[in-house]
Amino acid sequence: MDQTSAEQAISVLTVDDSASIRALLRVALTSRGFAVQQAEDGQEALEWLAANEVDVIITDINMPRLDGFGLIEKLRSSALHADRPILVLTTESSEEKKTRARSAGATGWIVKPFDADKLTAALRRVAH
Amino acid sequence: MTVSPLSERKETILQGDVRASADANLTLSTVLGSCVAICLYDPLNRIGGMNHFLLSTPQNPATASDCDTDYGLYLMELLINEMFKLGANKTHMKARAYGGANMNRDLAPIGQSNAAFARTFLRDEGISLVYEDLEGEVARRVDFRPATGQVRVRRIASVDPATLPTQIPQAGRKRDLGTVELF
Repeated sequence: MDQTSAEQAISVLTVDDSASIRALLRVALTSRGFAVQQAEDGQEALEWLAANEVDVIITDINMPRLDGFGLIEKLRSSALHADRPILVLTTESSEEKKTRARSAGATGWIVKPFDADKLTAALRRVAH
Repeated sequence: MTVSPLSERKETILQGDVRASADANLTLSTVLGSCVAICLYDPLNRIGGMNHFLLSTPQNPATASDCDTDYGLYLMELLINEMFKLGANKTHMKARAYGGANMNRDLAPIGQSNAAFARTFLRDEGISLVYEDLEGEVARRVDFRPATGQVRVRRIASVDPATLPTQIPQAGRKRDLGTVELF
């Protein structure tokens, strides 16, 4: 996992199987003062979250091993992360997928390609 | 297997398009100047797809990256996800890359920037670039059969560069960029 820390910063875990998207998110968020952790799929995120906390999770939907829907469902059934804000960041634009994410317990839905300023505004809004 | 010509279909892929298919009778066809098309295919599952992009160069190259990579990333991810939906596996995917011609020597080498993006993306994602026909100064017509990964390329030396797209339709595609909906 990559780690960039900043004192008092909102901590964000990004979950995406694309190395290019991870790099894009890391640069966009660290340059705006967020502390960024990154996982390559839902399974890696779940394992890291078993022993760590973050303020907000951003997850892709289509990923190997454990996809975004599976990750949200597992986190919502855990005591530690039942109320953790989870934003879905995806190329999916279908209402059916969005409804499924909402039912699983997602906090918000962002369609790629993302606008870094809109994304960070949403992160600050949902971070408790 | 003998395929009836009547069952053969051809679809045109335009700038900004993404199309994936497992149809053995389908050919995806595109014409490229400075634009780049990536033909991805999973030979084990016989699923493939093509996109077609042109990334803008920044107004001030000294302060920005070489091109608008966000848009390229988006079209690459869309293509990969469309193939996932059909059952493709990323670890099997192979890529062929075409286009990126520098059509006008007096203008910035936009084709070269687009080709560089394609190579970097595929390297970073661990997708094998098995063949590339990139850059140069002539347009290309690419016919790609997604189910088999077969490609036929014809160079179009006589094409009028003015008929090929050189600018991104920024206003159209940026309108709904990164829409945020909180539940």
